[in-house]
Amino acid sequence: MFNILLTLFVISLFYAVIVIFAKIIEKLREHKGEELNYYKLNKTHSILFLIFGVLFFAFFGASFKYLEYAALPESASNFGSQIDTLFYVTALITGVVFILTHIAMFAFVYLYRGRKNRKATFFAHSGNLEILWTSVPALAMAVLVVMGLNTWFQIFPNKKNLNEADTMIIEVTGKQFNWIVRYPGPDGKLGRRVISKQFITPDNELGVDWNDPASKDDFFASEIHLIKGKKVRFNLGALDVLHSFYLPHFRLKMDCVPGVPTSIGFTPVKTNDETREELKSNKYWSSIDPETGEPRFTKFTFELACAELCGKSHYGMLTNVIVEDETSFNKWLASQKPHYSTLTSQKVDKEIKTDSLTTSMDSVLSKN
Amino acid sequence: MANSLNHSQEHHHEETFLTKYIFSQDHKMIAKQFLFTGIFWSIIGALLSVIFRLQLGWPDETFPFLETLLGKWAEGGRISNEFYYSLVTMHGTILVFFVLTAGLSGTFANLLIPYQIGARDMASPLMNMLSYWFFFLSGLLMLSSLFVQTGAASGGWTMYPPLNGMRNTAVNLGSGLGTDLWFFSMALFIVSSLLGGLNYVATILNLRTKGMTMWRLPLPVWALMFTAILGILAFPPLLSAALLLEFDRIFDTSFYLSDIVLGGQLQDYKGGSPILYQHLFWFLGHPEVYIIILPAMGIVSEVLSVNSRKPIFGYRAMVYALGVIVLLGFLVWAHHMYVTGMNPFIGSIFVIFTLMIAVPSAVKVFNWLTTIWKGNIRLTPAMLFALGFVSMFISGGLTGIFLGNSAIDIPLHDTYFVVAHFHVVMGVAAFFAMFAGVYHWFPKMFGRYLNDTLGYIHFYGTIIAAYAIFIPMHFMLSLPRRYYTYSNFQTFNIFEDVSKFISIFAIISFLLQILFVINIVYSALKGRKMKSDNLNPWNSNTLEWTTPVEHLHGNWPGDIPHVHRWPYDYSTGFGDEDYRPQTLPLEDGEEAH
Repeated sequence: MFNILLTLFVISLFYAVIVIFAKIIEKLREHKGEELNYYKLNKTHSILFLIFGVLFFAFFGASFKYLEYAALPESASNFGSQIDTLFYVTALITGVVFILTHIAMFAFVYLYRGRKNRKATFFAHSGNLEILWTSVPALAMAVLVVMGLNTWFQIFPNKKNLNEADTMIIEVTGKQFNWIVRYPGPDGKLGRRVISKQFITPDNELGVDWNDPASKDDFFASEIHLIKGKKVRFNLGALDVLHSFYLPHFRLKMDCVPGVPTSIGFTPVKTNDETREELKSNKYWSSIDPETGEPRFTKFTFELACAELCGKSHYGMLTNVIVEDETSFNKWLASQKPHYSTLTSQKVDKEIKTDSLTTSMDSVLSKN
Repeated sequence: MANSLNHSQEHHHEETFLTKYIFSQDHKMIAKQFLFTGIFWSIIGALLSVIFRLQLGWPDETFPFLETLLGKWAEGGRISNEFYYSLVTMHGTILVFFVLTAGLSGTFANLLIPYQIGARDMASPLMNMLSYWFFFLSGLLMLSSLFVQTGAASGGWTMYPPLNGMRNTAVNLGSGLGTDLWFFSMALFIVSSLLGGLNYVATILNLRTKGMTMWRLPLPVWALMFTAILGILAFPPLLSAALLLEFDRIFDTSFYLSDIVLGGQLQDYKGGSPILYQHLFWFLGHPEVYIIILPAMGIVSEVLSVNSRKPIFGYRAMVYALGVIVLLGFLVWAHHMYVTGMNPFIGSIFVIFTLMIAVPSAVKVFNWLTTIWKGNIRLTPAMLFALGFVSMFISGGLTGIFLGNSAIDIPLHDTYFVVAHFHVVMGVAAFFAMFAGVYHWFPKMFGRYLNDTLGYIHFYGTIIAAYAIFIPMHFMLSLPRRYYTYSNFQTFNIFEDVSKFISIFAIISFLLQILFVINIVYSALKGRKMKSDNLNPWNSNTLEWTTPVEHLHGNWPGDIPHVHRWPYDYSTGFGDEDYRPQTLPLEDGEEAH
């Protein structure tokens, strides 16, 4: 308590000094009988503002240089590189505008600072200028819209154009506070889920129908494994509140909404090992992690995060993502046990009555 | 108008302390009430951000004084994750609604509309008073929610269901009473906003003095009118959204809820959609950012023109740009929802409308720059803040072009890039305009000047701190927002140093604003006095500077002055001075605008 009061006292003292200083300047001016003379102040402040301008650009440049290490590694998905290109094109266009308008502002303030014998130029309107700076931004926006929508419709294609014959399906469901990852197993088909109190139990939160043949080889995974170069589609959902499936290294994100199925598909193009190699030259990733005593990149892995506030432990919804070649993937696949095989027989057969199946057909979430 | 004229001529009108300072119906006093309430809320809102910046900057350290102050919310000197989410939620709510909507519009609409159009007061002084008191009550509820046992609302300022749609706090669902208070407070706030908005529009349309045609209105008045129209049309949907959500919370209806599984139990909600709430919310939520930025644009246009001693460039284009922004502002709400799984075709429509807003915004920026070009610029603190606004609006507006493009928004959505973007473009920028307005019109409000040395320190300190906070924040573009700590993820742990840097400047920035508050309080009581032989300190053309220093009920002691010209005749070459007040009849050869 004493410390708090002491700190407050010191801060107040600090304010008092500044206020007294400012008041003295005002009083001195009054004493000399001067009115506030802005012509005098203009000179000082046009220079100060210019100095601020130089610092501003310097700081901006320094941020680029110093914070470069914090940028994500090159995109690990096919769409990511397209999005990055779009980002850089936008950055180029807006960067030019940003620099030119700011230079103009700092220069004008300095060049046209108020002086006693100067007169401002009366210039109230110019149709041509207005047309110029309506049409140029409009044109630039048109270019960005076309480029942006081109990428947008590739990421979220029209259902008709969806060719997903050779696509790996993975189901990810968000809940407080982790991700439930379900793989369809060798048959490539996820067992169906039934939204009814009959099926949804603390042991079976998803409501998977274990009588569905497709569910027999489904397995739950603690990590997401993907094959480099093989298309994948994530069927997304949420049990309790909104979550958002966010893969920063793949530049992708999609909300998980209770009651409304969503999905996102892409092709991974880089393995964890390849990214690790790339990070060797990064200032941060090549530094030694004090906990392990090894360079940080050795432990690098892609990560899945939640990007929609979902409650008090929102920041902890981490699942690792591993992109590997087909051989490693198959090795991992072989080590996974179908969930059905771990269930005791009584749990599976007793709970399910056939008549409830038909009545709840309309609320089947995903059939695949 | 006839009524208000007669009213002011009845000089036997007696004022008690209560009617003069508390339940005042005088627009000038209500403006001060809004200003001081806004200042109160901005200190609270900023203080909350300082506390959570301590957590973000030094996630592994403990601050024992926090436990002394906050008790169970900061056990061991580190704020709890629940409390962190309350802080960010309340910070957003307070600054968006109580400071930048009510504080900004409330202060300047009340001060400037009657003064600048030449009216004795608002069309309905009673509604005006009610508007303030509903705002006050709404604030009281919001403030009380900070003290309830289960904590203030903690589900994000957007209050998305299902997190905020159920009261089952046992399973981590938002918060209890705090969230209900949030919604009740917001309902009162909406009432206040509608009472104010309708009044502003009615006043501007009906009470203009003789000669004050619409095309002779100063730009702040135009901006405030468009703001009021936006508010009238956008706030009611939020009220309905809030009511439906409260039904879900209290009566277990299913407007926004469906297929919810809690602790392995399927809940009874059926058929609702959480996305519906988002549509209703953002139908207000997006116009809301224009409700914040339009008055700021109006204030800045006026301050730039007066202090450049030049007419605002492209006056009509500025008005049309405001109008286009209002129109487009209603057609872009779903750009907050690109990754909710919406139909990609619908998303594409919102991309087109969103990027279209860049056009009127660009027109405004170029017009401001042309306004200062070849001016005779007087660098008062107000002018510097107006220039700071232009810089912030450019910086923050340009990052909006990234986010408005749906494809780029996929990775950037809900990351610190978004946080940086909106803080610069509608947080810092709107604050700068508010500062510009306060420095510029302080003599009109209080008959005294703000201390300009403190003003200059405030300006340079704040713009440096603001950019030091937000430029680096743009580089944290992979880090999701609303993370209590980022150390669980290797990818995000990288931002430890940047976060610290930002926190340090956030604290500096907070301390600088306290200096501004000291300046206001001190100068209102003891500042340099405005002299009655110099009623127009900035040599401005608009009508408010023709009123006496002492505030009169009815504004002008005699008749209301008549208007003969537009408000931006600066440096026309006519007359000895470089300004031509609106009350001055046109000379031979002078052109009307």
